[in-house]
Amino acid sequence: MSLLTKLLFFPIAGPVAGIRWSLGKVQRVVEEELVDDSAVKQELMELQLLLELGDMDDAEYVRREAVLMERLREVRHWREQFGLQAPAGPVRVARGSGAGAGAGDAAEVEGPGDE
Amino acid sequence: MSDATGVENVPLSGATEDGKYVYCITRQEKPRDFGTIGIGEGANRVYTVHYRDLAAVVSDTPIVIYDPTRENVLAHEFVNETVMREWTVIPMSFGTVFRSEEDVCELLRSTYQAFSDVLDKMRDKIEFGLKVLWDRERVIATLERENDEIRRLKDEIDRNAQSSTYFARMQLGRLVEGALEDTGNAFVSDIHEALKDVAVASRSNKPIGDRMIMNAAFLVERDSERAFDEKVREISRKYEDLLTFKYTGPWPPYNFVNIKLKLERAEG
Repeated sequence: MSLLTKLLFFPIAGPVAGIRWSLGKVQRVVEEELVDDSAVKQELMELQLLLELGDMDDAEYVRREAVLMERLREVRHWREQFGLQAPAGPVRVARGSGAGAGAGDAAEVEGPGDE
Repeated sequence: MSDATGVENVPLSGATEDGKYVYCITRQEKPRDFGTIGIGEGANRVYTVHYRDLAAVVSDTPIVIYDPTRENVLAHEFVNETVMREWTVIPMSFGTVFRSEEDVCELLRSTYQAFSDVLDKMRDKIEFGLKVLWDRERVIATLERENDEIRRLKDEIDRNAQSSTYFARMQLGRLVEGALEDTGNAFVSDIHEALKDVAVASRSNKPIGDRMIMNAAFLVERDSERAFDEKVREISRKYEDLLTFKYTGPWPPYNFVNIKLKLERAEG
């Protein structure tokens, strides 16, 4: 029955399944871009550099910074939508489960020479 | 510099004033008030939260996400600069907010040993930033004068303007690109070499924009600050025709301490 169904409907089921698969892939790429703030951060650093070098005045900086902040908020919004942790934001220390020292540490700290 | 009024930060539902913005960790047993220099709307009081001989330098804050605007970042840096004038600090990354004072104490308690070790290592050390940008056209002009192979090929192309082939021009382009890369690398290693003896450690970050050839941080003993300063001046004079140096600091050792907080999302 199932084989027959496949044979009968292949011309329809085949391509449709294929399209669904590639849509899934496209969606994943889009999601990855939506939740990635590294491009915005890079632009923010470039903006700061231009200001430091005197290649941009204060008013222009403030205007462009506002645009980038808006984009950062969008990234945060999408991270929330997809259930990812916000790159920055309200946090609290994870409490250890009471297991031995180390496992319950709230943070790892690395100094020079630890790498 | 500490004026951080009128900043639009994003409040979260159920926001309270109980949160603590953490600037840095330091070794200090006595409570201390640094005055109203904190981040956020209205100048917030900056003070210490203690666990044994460790202290976190904090200010009260609603539970908000702080946008990394220049105003906010400067407020964060200003507090750290103020504290590090007297104490060795482990700086926290920008925007670190804890839900309560107890959570800050919990961080100090559970990471006590690691913080203590790093504070020992960072004792009397400060960070300097050095960004180096080049004037690409000038460097190319220098290459065309001083690099024999490039000069010969360029002369040849100029002499036979009409008959010079597309291939010869391509070859010249490739030669110049390669020589530029070599020259950039030579500049960077020369600068690192000049500063090696006056710094404890260095870290190279990704250059910003297309004119930057070096974006580095140096860890320096407080006692060597003047010597480091002089070396930077010396090397920047050596290259003043070709390179622009952006020299900043002293900073707390942002680039030499890595605190990975194991965090839970705050609920609500």
